[in-house]
Parts: sequence; structure tokens; C-alpha cells
Amino acid sequence: MGVYIGKIIAISELNVQVLINEEKVKYHDILYTEQKGKKLYFEVAEEDGNVVSAIPFQTVIGLKKGVEVYKESDGLEIQYSDEILGKVFDSYGNLIDGQSIENVVKKNVYERNVSLEEINLNGGNLWTGIKVLDFFAPMKKGFKMGLLGGAGVGKTVLIKELINNVYKGFNSNSVFVGIGERSREGKELYDEMTEAGLLDKMGIVFGQMGENSAARSKAIFSGLTLAEYLRDEKGQDVLLFVDNIYRYVQASSELNAELARVPIENGYPANIASAISLVEERINSTEKGSITSFQAIYIPADDVTDQAVQTIQGHLDGQIVLDRKVAEKGLYPAVDVFNTTSKQIDIEKVGERHYRLVEEALRYYSRYAELEEIIAVLGIEELSSMDTKIFYRTRKLRNYFTQPMFVAENYTGVPGKFVDIDDVLEDVENILTGKYDDVDESRFLYIGKYEG
Amino acid sequence: MGNFVEGLVNAKLRNMKNMLNVYEVGHVVKVKDYILEVTGLENVGFYERVVVANYSVGYVTAINKNSVMVALLQRAGTIYVGDEVVTTGFDFCAMFSRASMGHIIDIFGVDRLVSEKFENLRPLPIETAPIPIMERTAVSRPFYTGIAGIDLIYPIGYGQRQLIIGDKKTGKTQIALDTIVNQKDKNVICIYIAVNKTKKNIKEMYDELMKKGAMEHTIILAAFNDDEPPVGFFTPYAGLSIAESYMRDGQDVLVVIDDLKSHADIHREISLLVGKIPGRDAYPPDIFYTHSRLLEKGCQHKDGGSITILPIVETRGGDITDYISTNIISITDGQLVLSRKNFEKGQKPAINYGLSVSRLGGAVQESKMKKLGGKTRREFLSYLEVKEVYELANTDEMSPEMQEKLTQGQQIQERLLQYKYSPRNKEEILHMFGEVVKPD
Repeated sequence: MGVYIGKIIAISELNVQVLINEEKVKYHDILYTEQKGKKLYFEVAEEDGNVVSAIPFQTVIGLKKGVEVYKESDGLEIQYSDEILGKVFDSYGNLIDGQSIENVVKKNVYERNVSLEEINLNGGNLWTGIKVLDFFAPMKKGFKMGLLGGAGVGKTVLIKELINNVYKGFNSNSVFVGIGERSREGKELYDEMTEAGLLDKMGIVFGQMGENSAARSKAIFSGLTLAEYLRDEKGQDVLLFVDNIYRYVQASSELNAELARVPIENGYPANIASAISLVEERINSTEKGSITSFQAIYIPADDVTDQAVQTIQGHLDGQIVLDRKVAEKGLYPAVDVFNTTSKQIDIEKVGERHYRLVEEALRYYSRYAELEEIIAVLGIEELSSMDTKIFYRTRKLRNYFTQPMFVAENYTGVPGKFVDIDDVLEDVENILTGKYDDVDESRFLYIGKYEG
Repeated sequence: MGNFVEGLVNAKLRNMKNMLNVYEVGHVVKVKDYILEVTGLENVGFYERVVVANYSVGYVTAINKNSVMVALLQRAGTIYVGDEVVTTGFDFCAMFSRASMGHIIDIFGVDRLVSEKFENLRPLPIETAPIPIMERTAVSRPFYTGIAGIDLIYPIGYGQRQLIIGDKKTGKTQIALDTIVNQKDKNVICIYIAVNKTKKNIKEMYDELMKKGAMEHTIILAAFNDDEPPVGFFTPYAGLSIAESYMRDGQDVLVVIDDLKSHADIHREISLLVGKIPGRDAYPPDIFYTHSRLLEKGCQHKDGGSITILPIVETRGGDITDYISTNIISITDGQLVLSRKNFEKGQKPAINYGLSVSRLGGAVQESKMKKLGGKTRREFLSYLEVKEVYELANTDEMSPEMQEKLTQGQQIQERLLQYKYSPRNKEEILHMFGEVVKPD
């Protein structure tokens, strides 16, 4: 039973003010009140003398002034044991999949942070089997990869493909945090993982887009705590999937407005940088284990200079950018090769051959973009013979970097392909040096490695 | 001020004498358009329905330390500072009767053609809790619109949310109407939600659906332009509450929301009026959640029922990357983009096949449609792209493969032409497109 702390004096949709008695209440404390036999929870967000502002977790319809409020705990908690695997939690650490946990061992979701001393930079290579990613943005264990793209260009499919591919080679547990995304996709992910026999190897937290701002702003903390358990207590190399980190910032903006704090541009909270750091600085590798994360980042109004997008990008080791113009042409994954890169693209890290090929490929791509404009005016016949070669080879390269996905098999009817990086380098080299000049470009569409 | 306090005291005394103190009485102290500030309501609940002055109806939108804010839903005459506000003890609900089928109704349970309330009205909460993830199941049953460009290339399934987006006069509403008409005898209840449509628009639509015999399975839930803005704001939510009540009975429901851009603008107007902090394009920061919680009601329920939603968004200058459009695209399971250019060229429906997407695609098609559809989509997109690049090239010098591609593309394009109310069923589509596209 909680401790009585005071009474409600003001109510709006996402902000309930409580006049407290002599009990001490602090930031992040969990309060509750009883309404029609149900407990309604709040989290303390602000204190002003003897009035605290609290964020309700559920709807406050029907709530009245003068209702008594009790304190439940010192903050949100989530299960912290092997029991997290194969389970689905909501943002507040409650199970939502109808299962139950017998030995409840909970941990506060805000407590952990990583010191400079703890951070470990050494991790082995991590190949995804997705040609365009392994070529332009190769990864290491412990990397933070951003997945950027506007609405409807294929972010979620790519995330599912990564889960599928990386997971199979990795053999350790993973955590999926769904923030502000579609419930339908959440359920599909759950069903697909169940079918693939992968579910009992992962912990899932959902705070989806039908939920209020409080739920969407808390899911990430619960998810991080699960990943930290696997890293710190089990010593694993954990995969953390966050879909979508932008929605955390978005939910924070909504709460900020409810607390009537002055925002910065586009309505973001003034503390946007520290709010993002609070999350990102916890995603790190230590001597005990690593956390490799893939974070989908939604780009509002297709605006890449958006404050939230830019701030999140500052934390990443690499990024995969999806482009609507590429998607329009039916080329999936719709990767924008100019902006897709990682810290691994360094002559000392990937080796000279890979590095030179990336350079050469990008040179072809950028010339191709220029040529497209020329052709629009003059037609193909007017190009010099070198430019004509570049034009056709780049089109082949572009087609080659499409790939059938395992998780999209249902959609495309074409089975997925996992491609080894050595094959990718070989094929790219052959296309660029003209070995395949006589092969029709359509032969490179949606294949694995080129087999003639 | 003295009069005002005296009034308050008198009201209390009067009520106590009449044993009416179960209903509190407060007074309007501020009138700002349709937003009122009211003092004296100490025990009112959040979202409680209140009656203002001469039977104007409102509901409580915020409870402050010393007053409450009330938004007006129905205005019966002028409201003055000092007018009485009486609580009712009930949460504000929509009123609905199952007899509404075939009628134009509003959220208060009124048959708008004859301005009379239905009998057997029952309250429906305006907003219900989100449908839990675990109660959902995969969207996989094909939902036929009768339009080949949709059913074959960008298919819809029961429980899918598919956005229809495009400029004014590109045929957005027509696609929705075609779809509704095509549901005849398919045991699907259609709810057409009109937000910010003119009365004339609504009547035309009603007449047309009547003529096509489609009103038998359709309810038009309309907020008129001259209703109080909070009514327009709540109408889509009420519509989805109605849909949910049918879905929970195991029914398949189709909901069309026409349109969400206007709905966003109404929300912006109300939010700015009550002094909320504006965000991007002056929309309130919760604009995403405003639409996400609404559209998340669309689902295939594990117990059999489903809610399919076709929200409509109007764009300007063909720009689908503006704030509201991208927000909604990021919620729905796909979008049908309509282009003015195609419309003017006479390509109807004016679908821009490059920009349109169905995130479910083949998962909601039967195997034949899936094979043919996937191939047709790939071939056609590739044709559109190639056509652009080789627009100026000499056809005779092209490789035979390329020439074949161009001819096939043209044939597909011709077959995608389809005028309004001329639905094609699955067999017809398979036959027509099977002639020019050979599935792998």
C-alpha cells in the first residue's frame, strides 16, 4: 500500500497537479490514485513548492479535483533477470503478452549510466549480408547505426532484415524497443519471431503510436535496462533495435508543451540535447559485453536538417540513409549511397581494396547524377564514349545493389539472399572494370551475388 | 464583482433549498469564441458534459486551480459572462443508434436530413483505450475496391489503413466512393466521416450513394463547416468508436475519413485558441498523436472483426512531404498518391504509381493476384523509369528487350484506365493483365 501524499488540484490531458502534504516527493516518483476501482498512475515531472506536476500514464477522463493521491515507488521498474527473454513488456515494465513471471526481480529504469573508464572500443567485424550496407557502411560490434528515412521508404523492412540476418550469425540475445510505431507491425514482428523460433532469445518493449506521450517517452528506458541486464549480468554481445528513436523526442516535445515550458524551433524541448544524451550515453560497450544498436530515425517532413535528427546523428558511428527518390524507382533497399557511411570506411580499417572500390563507385555515382541531367536535355547519343560507359556501368551497379529480402518474401514473392562481402567486392570490381559491359542491366536487379 | 459573488451565493442557497446540490452550478467568467472559463465547479470531472445558459452544451477540457475550461459543442444562443453552467455527472459521450444505417448523422445522434434525434440512442465513449497489440492479428484478407490499380498493384487488406493523398480535384473522394459502392452485398459496414465538407458536398455524396444503392450499408457521419470546431475535432474519434463497437461484434467495417488535413487545422485552431505552445508549422506538438491514436483503431481483430480505414489528405502543389502528410504517411500502412498531372492527362484513377506504396503488398493478395500483381508492379515501375530516361532516344536503335519493355508498359498503362463506378472483379483483373504480363 502506498503512502498518502496529497490531493489533486488541477487536471489537463497530460498534466495533473497535486497539492502535497509534508511527505517528500521527488522527480520520477510514481504516484497513483484509485478511480472506479482501477489504479491510475502518474510520474512526477516537476515540483513547485508544495505542488507537483505529474504525467498520467492512462487517460484522465472522469478524474476530479480533491481526489487523494498516494506514492507507489521511487521510479519506474522493469524485470531484471533471465525472465525477460521471450516476454513482451509495455513502457512501464508490465507484461502485455498474457504471460507471468514468478520470481519478480525488478530494477529502476533510470539508474544505470556508463563511465569513461568502462567503455570498450574493441569489437570484431559484423557483416549483415546486405550488399549495399556491407559495401558502403560496414559495421563493427558495438556500433551505433542510424537508419534514416522519411515516411514509407522501407525503414522497418530493413530493420526486420537486419534482425533476421545479423541474429542468425550472432547467436546471442537481443532487445527490441518499439517506440511510437505501428501496433500492427509490432504484432507482426512478434508473430514472425515466434515462427522463426527467435522469440525466446529476445526481450521486447512496446510503447506504440496509439499510446499517449508518457508511454512513448518511457519505452526506451525500459528497453535499455533489459539490454543492460544482458550485457552486464550475462556478459553478452547484445543487439539492440530501436524503432523509432525519433518518437522518443517527439513524445518529449508533447510532454514539454503540456508542462508549458518554452520550446525551441519546431516545438522541440529546450533540453533536447541532454534528453537524447541521457539515452545514447547508456548505449555503450564495456569489458563485460557489447551493445550494437540499430536505431531507426524518422525524418519529419523529409527535413534532414531537423534539430532532433541532427542531434541524434551526433551520437552515431554510422548511418544508413534511405531516399524517397530511389524508392520511387522501385530500387530496394532504397539506399542513398552518398550519405550512407560508417566510421569503418577508412583505409586502415577495411583495407585498401574495399576502400578504393567505395571511392570508385561513388565517383561513378556522382558522375551518373550529372549525366542524367545532361541526358534529359541532349539524349544519350551525345555522351562521350567514357561517359557512356560510366552511365551504363552505374546503372548496373545501382541495380546490383538492390537485393531480395528474407523478410519481404511475402511481399515480393522472391526469396531472400545473404551475400558474402568478398563476393560483393568481386562483383563490384567486375562491373566497374567493364567485365560485364555486355550483360543487360536488368540481369542485375534483385539478385544475390552475380552468377552469370 | 459584488453582484457576481452575490449571484454565486444565491445559486448555492437556491440549490440547497431545492435539494439540487448533486448538480453543481458555476458561472461563465470569460468567453473566447467557443472556449469558456467557468468558476464555481469544484466537483466536476475532466471531460464531463456541462450545460451552459440556455441549453448550450459543452464539456470540460481542463481543470485549473480556481476555474475550469469548457469547450462548447452546441450553441443555443448568445453566451454572456455570468451565465450559469450546470454539471451533469456524465462524461461527454457520442450518442449513437444502430438505426443510423443509411442516414446522415452527427455525433449527437441526430438524423441530419430531418434534424431529429434517433430513438434508442446509446452513449458511446468518444475515445476508447488503444486496442492492445496482442488482440491484433495479421492483416491478410484481401479487401477489394474494384479498382485494378489498387487491387492488383497496391492492394488493401481488411484492417489496413491506406492513405489517399493528392491535390484538390484529383479524385480522392471518388476512390473512396467507388470503394464504398463496391462493398455492396459483401457484408461490410461503411462509415463515411466528413470533416469540413460543405453541406452541398455531403448532400451530393448522399444522393450519389443512394442512386448506387450503397446507402443500405453506409452511415455518413458528418460535421458541418458551421458546427462548433470541437465537433469537427471529435467527429473522426466518434466515428472510430462506432466502428469499434461493430468490430467487437465480429463485423468488418470500412471507415473513410475525409479529410485529415482539415482535421489537423481544426486541432491547430483550438490549440492556439486555448494558448497551447505551437510547434512546426504552428501545429501543436501532439499533432502526430492526434492522428496516430485515431488511425491505430484500424486493425484486424483476433476475434474476427476488422476496421479498414481510408483516410484522405489534401495536399498543395502535389507536395506530399509537408509536415501533416508525412506524419500521416508514417502512421498508415501505405499511401495512394494521386497526381494532378495524370488527372489532366486523362489517366483515371490518377494514381502516381511511383510514389504510392502498400506496406502489406502481396501479404493481402491471393496467390494468383500476388504473382501477377508483383510482376506487373515491377514491370510497370521499371517502364515508367526507363520511359523517362529514353524519352528522347531513337526507338529503332533500342535493343529488342527494351522495345518490348516499352510496348508492354504502354499496354499495362492502358489497362489501368478505369472510370468511376465501373468496378472490376478479381477474375476480370486477372484476365486483363494476364494478357500482357506473364508471372515468373
